[in-house]
Amino acid sequence: MDNLEFLFAAFALAWAGVFAYMLFMARKQGQLKRDIDLLEQSLKKGE
Amino acid sequence: MLLISAYKWIKKHILIIASALLMLVHLYMVFIFVPTDANQGIIQRIFYIHVPLAWIGFFAFFVTLIGGVMFLWKRDFKWDRLASASAEIGLIFISLMLLNGCIWAKPMWGVWWVWTARLTLSLVLWFIYAAYFIIRAYISEDGQRARFAAVVGIIGFLNVPLVFLAVQLWETQHQGYLIFEGGMVPEMTWTLMAGIVAYTVLYVLLLKDRLVLKNLENKLNQMKNFITGG
Amino acid sequence: MQLLNKAFVIAWKDILSETRAREIISSVLVFAVLVIVIFNFAFSGSQQEMRALAPGILWVTFSFAGVLSLNRSFIQEKEEGCLEGLMICPVSREAIYLGKMMSSLFFMLLIEAIVLPAFVLFFNVNVITLPIITLTLLATIGFVAVGTLFSALAVNTRAREMVLPILFFPIISPVIISAVSASELTLNGAPWSELASWVGIIAAFDVIFLTASYLIFGFIVEE
Repeated sequence: MDNLEFLFAAFALAWAGVFAYMLFMARKQGQLKRDIDLLEQSLKKGE
Repeated sequence: MLLISAYKWIKKHILIIASALLMLVHLYMVFIFVPTDANQGIIQRIFYIHVPLAWIGFFAFFVTLIGGVMFLWKRDFKWDRLASASAEIGLIFISLMLLNGCIWAKPMWGVWWVWTARLTLSLVLWFIYAAYFIIRAYISEDGQRARFAAVVGIIGFLNVPLVFLAVQLWETQHQGYLIFEGGMVPEMTWTLMAGIVAYTVLYVLLLKDRLVLKNLENKLNQMKNFITGG
Repeated sequence: MQLLNKAFVIAWKDILSETRAREIISSVLVFAVLVIVIFNFAFSGSQQEMRALAPGILWVTFSFAGVLSLNRSFIQEKEEGCLEGLMICPVSREAIYLGKMMSSLFFMLLIEAIVLPAFVLFFNVNVITLPIITLTLLATIGFVAVGTLFSALAVNTRAREMVLPILFFPIISPVIISAVSASELTLNGAPWSELASWVGIIAAFDVIFLTASYLIFGFIVEE
């Protein structure tokens, strides 16, 4: 009963999933912040 | 001075620190602390991540229910943001839990999928919340999207106990899989509890991040509307 | 009583327009029998095998027919602008829900009343028994209880016909599981007492979702 690779895969998969989601959020957050800054700047210029 | 800034740093990142520490404790408990199950052997240790993943899936959908009810009552879009952020995290955790179940089933029963009560229930739930996001994508008006999503969130969660009863009964009528349930020694219970606590903290962390993101999206949309409108 | 009267009037309106236009019943009926025939091609097993497959085929047929007729229930109203007309009428949203639910229930039961004998004819399995009729009645109430709510939701989205099935099937899964399992038992000669827990789940589904849909319907058709 040695199924170490399955045990490893199960944990690795769950952790990889969580990290991928966090990475996705971090990237999107950076993008959104950039867009907002850009808009704010162009708004100020227009005034 | 240094002490104060260190304190501020910890305060700001308390959730991520707590979550990381709890995860490490949980890993330690799963791989070193807990004794190996006599029947299933080492593979039974998947149980300690399988159940917390499922628990967070269900808990997230419960938060979606609350968010939906509160939106219909108060008509404040912050509740819709909470509901959809939680549903997204729930869907991810349920997906991970289903994949996890496949990895558990293969060495146990020689197949990648078995219709155990827990997996069947999670699969049905996965479909309901996948529908939740499909519907959101098909509606362009904000108020309507939030209202319809709230309705799906409420009806979907009300269905959980019924699906649970049905699949439970179905399992006993059709086939009994040897699932590790009873006969837990105290160490096993403790490890499971640690997993549930660790993943709940992780859920709160993810939810908070997702809400920050939703608020940014909201702000950007408002600015765009302001520009095109003005 | 006022509420029920108004609901009956709405249901009667649907039944009258159906007798004139015959949009739902005839097409859904043909579809349902077609599903049975397709299953016959797909499995074409021995008498014994067909008997084992019968409950599953029966309930797939009913739920497919259900989703098709429920889809029509609000699309018609939407296309001809009747929903707006209904909303202007001095009837509550609850009365609209009850009325639409009752007309859908009537249409579905009518379709099932014809499909059941057709099923006996094609599969030579006697499904016209008191337990199966009871199960059909209870399950159909559950179908239309959530189906009417989701049908009203689906017509207001961009994808219309696509949305109802992806919402409807996962939600009715406890009814399908229970109805198939109970039909299996009764076709193998099990007494009522063995069906009780399955019937209980379907009945609980009916009560919970009739109440919930009745209370929540107003949020779908508002504005």
